[in-house]
Amino acid sequence: MTNKKIQSGNVILHILMFFLSLIWLYPYAWLFLASVKPSAEIYTRFLPTRFTLEHFRFILESAERMNRPFIRAFFISLFVSVTVTVCVIITSAIISFALSKYRFKARDGIFNFIIFQMVFPGFMFTIPLYILMRNMHLLNSLAALIVPFIMSGWGIFMMTQSFRGTPNDYIEAAKMDGASDMFIIFRIMLPLNNSVMAIVGLFTFIGVWDNFMWPLIVIQDYYKMPLSVLLASFNHEYGAYIGPVMAGSVIQTLPMVLIFIIFRKAFLQGISMSLK
Amino acid sequence: MSKKIGLAKKEARKGFSISSIYLIYAAIFWGYPFVWLFILLFSKWRFVGSPQFVGFRNITRVLTDPLFWKTVTNVFRFMMYYIPLVLIGALLFAIALNKIKFGKTFVALSFLVANVSSGVAYSIMFSNLFSVNGPINKALNSLFGITIPWFTSPQWAMFSIALIVIWKFIGYYGLILYAGLTAIPKSLYEAAELDGAGSLTKFFRITLPLLNPSIIMVLVLAITLAFGIFTEPYMITGGGPMRSTLTPMMHMITTAFQRMDPTYAATMAVFVAIISFGMIWVIRKTMEREVDLV
Repeated sequence: MTNKKIQSGNVILHILMFFLSLIWLYPYAWLFLASVKPSAEIYTRFLPTRFTLEHFRFILESAERMNRPFIRAFFISLFVSVTVTVCVIITSAIISFALSKYRFKARDGIFNFIIFQMVFPGFMFTIPLYILMRNMHLLNSLAALIVPFIMSGWGIFMMTQSFRGTPNDYIEAAKMDGASDMFIIFRIMLPLNNSVMAIVGLFTFIGVWDNFMWPLIVIQDYYKMPLSVLLASFNHEYGAYIGPVMAGSVIQTLPMVLIFIIFRKAFLQGISMSLK
Repeated sequence: MSKKIGLAKKEARKGFSISSIYLIYAAIFWGYPFVWLFILLFSKWRFVGSPQFVGFRNITRVLTDPLFWKTVTNVFRFMMYYIPLVLIGALLFAIALNKIKFGKTFVALSFLVANVSSGVAYSIMFSNLFSVNGPINKALNSLFGITIPWFTSPQWAMFSIALIVIWKFIGYYGLILYAGLTAIPKSLYEAAELDGAGSLTKFFRITLPLLNPSIIMVLVLAITLAFGIFTEPYMITGGGPMRSTLTPMMHMITTAFQRMDPTYAATMAVFVAIISFGMIWVIRKTMEREVDLV
């Protein structure tokens, strides 16, 4: 009797959660459909009567004549995100190796300093960092989007925690065979800790791709803007072109969604790990 | 023996020289801005010439600036909607996720994929979905005959922004709580059942207390997010209507780069940081419990 009751309750819970999942996916579905249906149907129908790519054609071709080079911005975003991510993984790996496998006096001090740094919210430094970029004459250049972010205290923290758990035997065995430090870091430590590498890389990539306030401040030139700022400026001035705006939003979101689906395991792990 | 000491010394030198790569980086991109923060706090400067010392004038100006405190009040209004709804929602989501067996991955992924939506695109998406003639209002109108001025009325705008941020973060927070939930040993529940505890008793006596670290974690994340919120109001409402969604970050950026007053903007940023630190400190002090999960 009670067993049956529990079961029917469980069935209802399943149905409810499935239904809620669809509600959570609805905005994405609407956005995607809005980008491929004729302009007249965007607000009037959920499913389009016919599919069209005119909005994508507009945003990728015609928008350039309005000083909104979307293809260029896409590749700028990609370049900046990939560069920062690769730099963060490399620098985090090297520094974490020193912090976890070498014994030296300042080691704990440096590690604690990194933890201390993470307490400060980024927005406190927005204006002083802008002044630094200005004094370095890097304003309105891609370097302003890359250089301040090539190392990450958080990345070093995560990797050091993970490297500490890797037994030293691996390193000693490799040293016996005459392996260099770089070989040990990139051929032994990183592969052994590939899940934390994926987490650091994934969150760094998403963070840079999604960053909006910083590039909005430092980049003025439409031909140097990353996708987020260019899309915002397009929406600001040509918001009436709803179809192309939706197409632009799809272009900006789709890479993140694909990366999320491909690396979902690392993503889920990363969130759960943030607890420790 | 001497060889061993030599090796240790070599190792120490190597370790420190590698770590100093980060120290140099931190000195430039963290230390230097930190020094500038102090200069800005106590001077008057409009990006040209050199900063002039003005003592505590920026600080007294922040304390007596009604617009700054309006933006802080706006953040508190955001938190008033956001924190209870997202916390209860994420908790229910975590518990449900723990209970369901079929389609678990589908449910988890559909809630979490919202989290990777890019700030600008998702703001544009929701400003259209919630526009006065948008699909949400169309549905509400045909079902209940009502039209809600989501982003266009001062009473609704901040609530609507809180709603869409909930859409984005409920899965993320839910997963943090879920991780905490799965760490609670099943034997505790079994023991409680033998003592005749009902499901409500189990929830309030076992689940909630043992989930404390995860809940505190979610609260800290939510507070930090609230004080730093920028993209959504910038893109959707521009701070309006009637400055009801103007946030400290928007106010800071306009002050620094449109009114060309970086010293005042930096002072406001420091105040916002102090307020958020204070809130987090109070929460940890009053709510944090030591939890021993074995």
